[in-house]
Amino acid sequence: MSRNIRVATDIGGTFTDLVCIDLDEKNPSKKIKVSKSDTTPSNFEQGIMNTLLKSNIVLEEVNFFAHGTTVVINALTEKKGSKTALITTKGFRDVLEIARCNRPDLFNFNFEKQPPFVPRHLRFEIEERITYKGDILTGIDCSSLGQTIDYCKKEGVEAIAICLLHAYKNPDHEKILTEEVKKLFPEVEIIASHQVTREWREYERTSSTVLSGYVLPIAKKYLNNLDGKLKEKGLLDPPYIMQSNGGITSMNDVLINPITMVESGPSSGVFGALALGKVIGKKNLIVLDIGGTTAKCALIENGQVQITTNYKIQHSRTKAGYPIQTPVIDIVEIGNGGGSIAWKDIGGKMHVGPQSAGAVPGPAAYGKGGKHFTTTDANIVTGRIHPDYFLGGAMPPDYAHINEAAALLCNEMKISIGELARGVIRIANSNMINALKLISVNKGYDPRDFTLVVIGGGGAMHGADLAHELQISELLVPPHAGVFSALGMLMSDIRRDYIRTSVLTLKEENKERIQKTFTEIESQALSNYEQEGYPGKEVIFTHYADLRYAGQEHYVKVLLSDFSDETPLEQIKQYFHKEHKRNYSFELDAPVELVNFHLVAKITVEKPEFPQLEVTGKKQVKDAEFDVREVDFDELGKHKTPFYHRDLLAPHMTIDGPAIIAEEATTTVVSPLFKVKVDSYGNLILTKKKA
Amino acid sequence: MERFTLEVIQDALVAAGDEMFKTLERTSMSPIIYESLDYAVGITDEKGELLAQGNGVTAFLAALDSVVRSTLEKYGKNNPLKEGDVVIANTPYAGGGTHLSDVSIIYPVFFDSHIVAFTVNKAHWTELGGTYPGSVSTVATEIFQEGLHFPFIKLKSGGVINEAILDIIKGNVRLPESTLGDLFAGVAAAEVGAKRVLSIIDKYGLSTYKKAKEDFLHYGEKMCLEALRSIPSGVYEGESAIEDNGFGEGPFPLKAKVTVTNSEFIVDFNGSHPQVRGATNLSFSGLVTGCRSLFKAITTPGMNANGGAFRPMRVICDPGTIVSAENPTAVSVYYEVLISSIDLIWKILAPLIPDKLPAGHLRSVCATFISGIHPETNQFYIQAEPLAGGWGASSVHDGNRGQLSCGSGESYNIPIEIREMRYGIQVEQYAFHNEGGGYGEFQGGNGQYLDFKIVSDGAHITAAFLGAQTKTWGMKEGHDGSFNYFKIIRKDGKEERHSLATNIYLEKGDIVRCVTATGGGYGSPLKRPNSKIELDIKNGYITSDQAREFYDYS
Repeated sequence: MSRNIRVATDIGGTFTDLVCIDLDEKNPSKKIKVSKSDTTPSNFEQGIMNTLLKSNIVLEEVNFFAHGTTVVINALTEKKGSKTALITTKGFRDVLEIARCNRPDLFNFNFEKQPPFVPRHLRFEIEERITYKGDILTGIDCSSLGQTIDYCKKEGVEAIAICLLHAYKNPDHEKILTEEVKKLFPEVEIIASHQVTREWREYERTSSTVLSGYVLPIAKKYLNNLDGKLKEKGLLDPPYIMQSNGGITSMNDVLINPITMVESGPSSGVFGALALGKVIGKKNLIVLDIGGTTAKCALIENGQVQITTNYKIQHSRTKAGYPIQTPVIDIVEIGNGGGSIAWKDIGGKMHVGPQSAGAVPGPAAYGKGGKHFTTTDANIVTGRIHPDYFLGGAMPPDYAHINEAAALLCNEMKISIGELARGVIRIANSNMINALKLISVNKGYDPRDFTLVVIGGGGAMHGADLAHELQISELLVPPHAGVFSALGMLMSDIRRDYIRTSVLTLKEENKERIQKTFTEIESQALSNYEQEGYPGKEVIFTHYADLRYAGQEHYVKVLLSDFSDETPLEQIKQYFHKEHKRNYSFELDAPVELVNFHLVAKITVEKPEFPQLEVTGKKQVKDAEFDVREVDFDELGKHKTPFYHRDLLAPHMTIDGPAIIAEEATTTVVSPLFKVKVDSYGNLILTKKKA
Repeated sequence: MERFTLEVIQDALVAAGDEMFKTLERTSMSPIIYESLDYAVGITDEKGELLAQGNGVTAFLAALDSVVRSTLEKYGKNNPLKEGDVVIANTPYAGGGTHLSDVSIIYPVFFDSHIVAFTVNKAHWTELGGTYPGSVSTVATEIFQEGLHFPFIKLKSGGVINEAILDIIKGNVRLPESTLGDLFAGVAAAEVGAKRVLSIIDKYGLSTYKKAKEDFLHYGEKMCLEALRSIPSGVYEGESAIEDNGFGEGPFPLKAKVTVTNSEFIVDFNGSHPQVRGATNLSFSGLVTGCRSLFKAITTPGMNANGGAFRPMRVICDPGTIVSAENPTAVSVYYEVLISSIDLIWKILAPLIPDKLPAGHLRSVCATFISGIHPETNQFYIQAEPLAGGWGASSVHDGNRGQLSCGSGESYNIPIEIREMRYGIQVEQYAFHNEGGGYGEFQGGNGQYLDFKIVSDGAHITAAFLGAQTKTWGMKEGHDGSFNYFKIIRKDGKEERHSLATNIYLEKGDIVRCVTATGGGYGSPLKRPNSKIELDIKNGYITSDQAREFYDYS
């Protein structure tokens, strides 16, 4: 029989995580279950089944199952998607390859452009033309389609992407073409640009459609397998799927346009932090997730997470990347994690990352053949990671290999291993500070108004230093920080973002059109939900507008609180001026243009409460202490530092830094400047000691 | 441990540069800034030594430090800058100047009432007045026809903006909102940078900051010298030409002698043709910028720009040549001469370092300025943009397709959907062409067609496509590529071919076809494997006729 058990699983590159919350369970310490298992790439469902088994979960009893996966992003980065063709407007099949013509690797005249996902011979044209106003200039002529489809069949094409000029404004031709293709080639997967995005910019839209088509067959197979397997094992309702916008949605929805899953993992981590923040009354958060290879950060202001469609994969300082116009949480990611390698360039400057030793061979301390000195090694050398807790206590660090890896750099720079370790941490921190500034100071936010939430294996290790540097007064290390993405899924609502480009000036005569457009989008959202059996009255709308000064190209996303027919345009303008000023330090006395309508349509799902820990009053801080060792805190000096088991700490305990709190998945470094308090949810809250 | 603190400060300076860059991009009003990213931002020390630079294009490498030095010359001991002063400059013949359209904002950063740094940016404003829309003309003969000139004047004094300057701008340009928008964007970006520099000094103290910047410059120099050693020493010479001056005269020879040693890189352009009638002239300060970008490409392409990294380079040229033009020579089409200069050194050195320099690329900005009245809004518009074309093949890969010239960088084309709405122009095709050339073991990248249909009466086009008479160059038996040119296909079917032209009248229904070159090939075509040739035919990058004729493939 069904109990109120809610499960989320998250498939990552290395591990498959599971979090389960049993709402009917009375014993708080048994309410939440967490398990981890190796990811099983050949057969991803197996990893999930393993985690379920580990936690003794009976699927028949589960009434809510959410799932996030890296299967889409992996297919893209490893180029393991399906053979995809493109049909576009006559004269424009090369748009996908011409791309935006930019060359981020500015001074490298021997660069190589990234190849398109659809080769030229599989890019076809169709006679038709729609104007920027959405009028039909040339009607669609499908007479050449037979030949195109025959060629596709001969070439073994598995997916066809359709993207026509100005289809964001008028998708009629795309719809006709989709039907025609279906008739001629019923077994192929088809996706048209208006199903992916209703924003302008033909290259970005074509790229998004092509990439969604490219992963469509794989995603379908994967999700159908998963659904079948879960059903077979007793799950009653189909699973919900995590998207990049921080919300979950139905399987049917995601199967129409699977690209929405592309950044599901990081997004749910941010939403987990948001949900936790709500519980403890914190609305302004900076979330930092430090993993093995990268660090990711995002900012939440007043409970609002920033969403962007200006997202690219495989984009770097030297590569243009591939754009995907899908709503993604605005996350800054840098190549700086525990496995990041320290190296010296020919000019003598030391760098940390972006190359990473990864999980294999891993940092030198793993003793698995890693020859490079990494951030993790530096944390060991400074004494910040306890040997008993290294790799969850699986084995002690391999000091011989650490020394070997360090020797090369130490000799070249004529410094000791201790200095090297401090330098590596300092540079790694500086990289992360710059990333954190990108999402805060650079956008006009004052970090002092925020709480820093650190998750991932490395977050808690660096958090105190970073908070100090940015003058953030409060740092929060949640429990289960290692499976936070999965936890976040249980805290997410069903969410769909509808974004539509329609450029108009904010003036009285356009007011009706603005309202009409929002109403149209609202009814589209309602009908989508109702078709899937959700009651329309449960749908909650939030309105945003992408606004700019007439003449500008880039826009600022503005939340239109309580938008209704009565909302005066003047108020919208005021919101915009304020946002623009915060972002760019000035405002203009120029007409304001609306570029994109953005509607968020949400259905709230029942969310478990974060369980509170028992306060027995029996435990003492001293009982949790298990060692005292010397730890190097760089500029703050070396200190005899007590080590604590996190599991044995109870609510309301406080410890003054320096201290190290160890748990299986991470280590919290409480620098001499900080003190830590355990709250009733088991969060570690670090604040500055009074001077 | 201090070395790591210095590195952290240096990283923070670079990050401040990035932030200024973003600010300017996101707030400017000119598509040529926010799409083409035709601008650069930077931080120099109090003497004008470049500490950090954020670039959208490669062409402004000497622009920022030089413009600060020229500012310091004007505002010297007797007339020093005061806190809150902001200087504006676009003089082409000094201070890293290029043409009037590129405007610099120079912002002295004060700490304890002393200048400790400058934040500076230089951006291509779409409109600055002058004879023709877009302030570019291929038939200008004096600078006075090319727009407003700000000879290092104070835009702000003690924090107060000089309203008179704003009024003069409003009264003299065709798109005043856009031009003033660009001005404010430049000031905002400089202010952001100044704040960041001050917070660095606040945190680490002035003396540590100064140490960090000296160390940074030294580091740049060291990186550069290391790389210089990998280029074979010697004296290398070459010659090319500017094929047209806009009056149908030419070609005008361009000569360069490059001396490479382990510690020096000297480029001597003496012997080049005297400055010419028309706007195809480059100032010496523009020449230095061009030489720096090529020098950087072969020494420290991956490193952030830094004054130290240019110390080993020297440029020599007597005044008054086509690459060292003097006041009041017209220079609005300077960029074509600049890229020709880069291309000449490139061609001289490529055989020595084919891992760094591929065969010849389109080597023209192929800039077009189309102006007219929008058919819907009835507003005057100017569509200004650089065009993409083919790059040359190298010893390791085929040439890239669909890339802007080496003078651009993180610049973007204008999306069709945006331009059709903004300018009311209709795009008929955007596609690779088969005009041939670039055959080789590695094939040059295809050039492309961009066809515009004019849908309202009374439009004009100004454009400069050098390379209409000379093909892009192949290397090591690789074939030459093809031509850059543009064609007007009148609505009665008559066709006109152009390379440099100013303000040609376009009627409703006329089509402008912009054609950019295919890049040069590398190595003998007979060495190209059949599998690659077959794939090229399948993809239509070459025709089967071309394969038969040039690759001996049947």
